[in-house]
Amino acid sequence: MSATAHSASPATAAAAGAAPQSAALRSFEAQWHARRAGPLHALRESAMQRFVQLGLPTMRDETWRYTNLRALAAHAYVDAAGDAPAAALQSDSLRSPALRIVNGVPCAADRARLLENGLEIMPLSELLRGDPVLLRGFLEPLSDADQQRWALLNTALFVDGLYIRITARLAAPLRLVHVTAGPGAAHPRVIIEAAPGSAATIVEEHVSHGDADSLCNSVTQIAAGAGAEIEHYRIFRGGPRAAHIDTLDIRQAGGSRCKQFTICLGGALLRTNLEARLEAAGAALDSYALLVGHGSRHADCVNIATHSAPDTRSRQTARIIASGDSRVIFNSKVIVCTGAVRSESMQSCRGLLMSPAAEIDTRPQLEIHTDEVKCAHGATTGRLDPDMLFYMLSRGLDRRTAQSLLVYAFLADVMTDMSPAAGRDSIDSALLAQLPESDLLRGLR
Amino acid sequence: MLKISNLTARVAGKNILNGVDLEVNAGEIHALMGPNGSGKSTLAQILAGREDYEITGGSVLFEGRDLLALPPEERARAGLFLGFQYPVEIPGVNNVYLLKAALNAKRKAAGEPEVDAYEFLALIKQKMKFMQMSESFLTRGVNEGFSGGEKKRNEVLQMLVLEPKLAILDETDSGLDIDALKVVSNGVNSLRDPHRSVVLVTHYQRLLDYIVPDRVHVFSGGRILKSGDKSLALELEKRGYDWLQESRVA
Ligand SMILES: Nc1ncnc2c1ncn2[C@@H]1O[C@H](COP(=O)(O)OP(=O)(O)OP(=O)(O)O)[C@@H](O)[C@H]1O
Ligand SMILES: [Mg+2]
Repeated sequence: MSATAHSASPATAAAAGAAPQSAALRSFEAQWHARRAGPLHALRESAMQRFVQLGLPTMRDETWRYTNLRALAAHAYVDAAGDAPAAALQSDSLRSPALRIVNGVPCAADRARLLENGLEIMPLSELLRGDPVLLRGFLEPLSDADQQRWALLNTALFVDGLYIRITARLAAPLRLVHVTAGPGAAHPRVIIEAAPGSAATIVEEHVSHGDADSLCNSVTQIAAGAGAEIEHYRIFRGGPRAAHIDTLDIRQAGGSRCKQFTICLGGALLRTNLEARLEAAGAALDSYALLVGHGSRHADCVNIATHSAPDTRSRQTARIIASGDSRVIFNSKVIVCTGAVRSESMQSCRGLLMSPAAEIDTRPQLEIHTDEVKCAHGATTGRLDPDMLFYMLSRGLDRRTAQSLLVYAFLADVMTDMSPAAGRDSIDSALLAQLPESDLLRGLR
Repeated sequence: MLKISNLTARVAGKNILNGVDLEVNAGEIHALMGPNGSGKSTLAQILAGREDYEITGGSVLFEGRDLLALPPEERARAGLFLGFQYPVEIPGVNNVYLLKAALNAKRKAAGEPEVDAYEFLALIKQKMKFMQMSESFLTRGVNEGFSGGEKKRNEVLQMLVLEPKLAILDETDSGLDIDALKVVSNGVNSLRDPHRSVVLVTHYQRLLDYIVPDRVHVFSGGRILKSGDKSLALELEKRGYDWLQESRVA
């Protein structure tokens, strides 16, 4: 295929009035030009065009008000796909059995080990060749919404990924470990389809490998059939130079239940999007965000739950801790569409500031287009309670232990709702490792 | 044991302690009584190391050491215990973890090994039985959802486990029913020992029927107005505080 087949050249973008192109944008275009055309080429090309036309999100975009991508935009990214250094596969956080996905490409050997009754796993590259019509259904429609901007880029540039179909009630959790090996950008994509009545726990863990600047632009889509029960984790544990933008789309049919955990424990820059659509009566979503701002980390979490049918329920719980000069943002929004009567929603967000330079911004929003709904929201941010702290000091505990106990207690609401099978203990340990005096804390539990 | 000399303190620009003098010897029990707002809790909190108060003068010696120079956790490890007038609820921090951490902090400071988990559980179960607390309190958060009386029992439970040299009990008797008052009093009396001292802040002379004090002090306007033996408490019960203030002005 020739480069002229692509209309998303810098010249057209400039003509469409987009902002001056950044190094990052030009490098993404270069990646696109280097790809060979395959099935769904036209669709992916239009995704690329839209991304180039709209440009990288800026602080003028509604959901990007708190996140400045200037540093990221100045970076020229090479295509990280395919070249997986062997060392990246030795990552210590891997707990077997897990399916490793390195720079967006799943390891064939892992996949063979994991197959069981009721679980189908197919690389997206295979699905693209074998059943492009099925895949198209997940890539369309393309959205211009600013929280979906990076998903457009992923749609254009993903090289591979996973299509996971669940047809039974799976006993063991399915563990995916995404490794981004810098330098460069990876665009992993995971599509999970849960058949009616099926059930599964899926843990997606994101780690980075190496010291170079890396960018991971991941997209996960979950379609939960009628009555399906899905528990999904996305755990971010990137290194100190890792930038990560993750977009999670969930669509829920009647009576389906989805429990979603977003856990930020690493990375320099993290942006997570969650868009959940409750599309038929009885669909219920429980989303939890546990965000730890450490050092100079910047984490920006956007959750949008849309109730488009009557008798649907969503609950969003966020617990945020920020220390150092980190900044953590949590924006949640509930949209209740016309006709979605008897919908119930709850948004609870609590932030804990651990240092004077840390910052937490929260914004719960409600958009209600019908009567007869029950929507509650609350957001508070503060410091450790001095009365509680003094009480513990007066019993002889040292200050750091007392603080850690309080922090740990603060997170308990989210931790206790996790299934132990999903590795609550390992999440727990990773979390404790970022708290002061973690060894003392371990001894206390 | 404890020697307070001319202690003055203020908070938010307001003088609250106006020259407190108090000496408590080893083995003694002192009762501190006085009207609401006179500064009894302020004194107790300052002794435990609360930093919200500005100490403007005076000194406090605890076993000959400058107490005010120590951070609160070191005071506790050195053997000082404050039973809070309003024990705070700490949801999510297990009641027993806190006690175990407290005991271990004290042992560590004394150069002793950490308590064995099994022994600790046996110890705490025994003390809970003594305090007539159900074992369900083992699994609950610190004071979380405890009734007023349960919180006070929990304070005494902590005191029994930590075995302090000096216990300051700030209205530990308030809000207790008759049976609980006996249980709490038994708890305090069980610690009575020639090497230990207790300061009881109370509004009720009834408590002093169960825990007989060596000295009774009347606290008013941020200082000790009058001291005496147990009979002073009976006189206060009959006559209130006004006669004292009047006699002072006169
Ligand atoms: N942080 C503060 N800011 C302003 N005033 C304070 C503060 N803390 C205490 N005070 C005031 O100091 C005075 C003494 O309070 P304290 O609690 O010591 O009294 P008390 O003798 O223990 O009373 P009670 O018998 O009611 O428990 C009160 O007038 C109280 O309002
Ligand atoms: Mg008081």
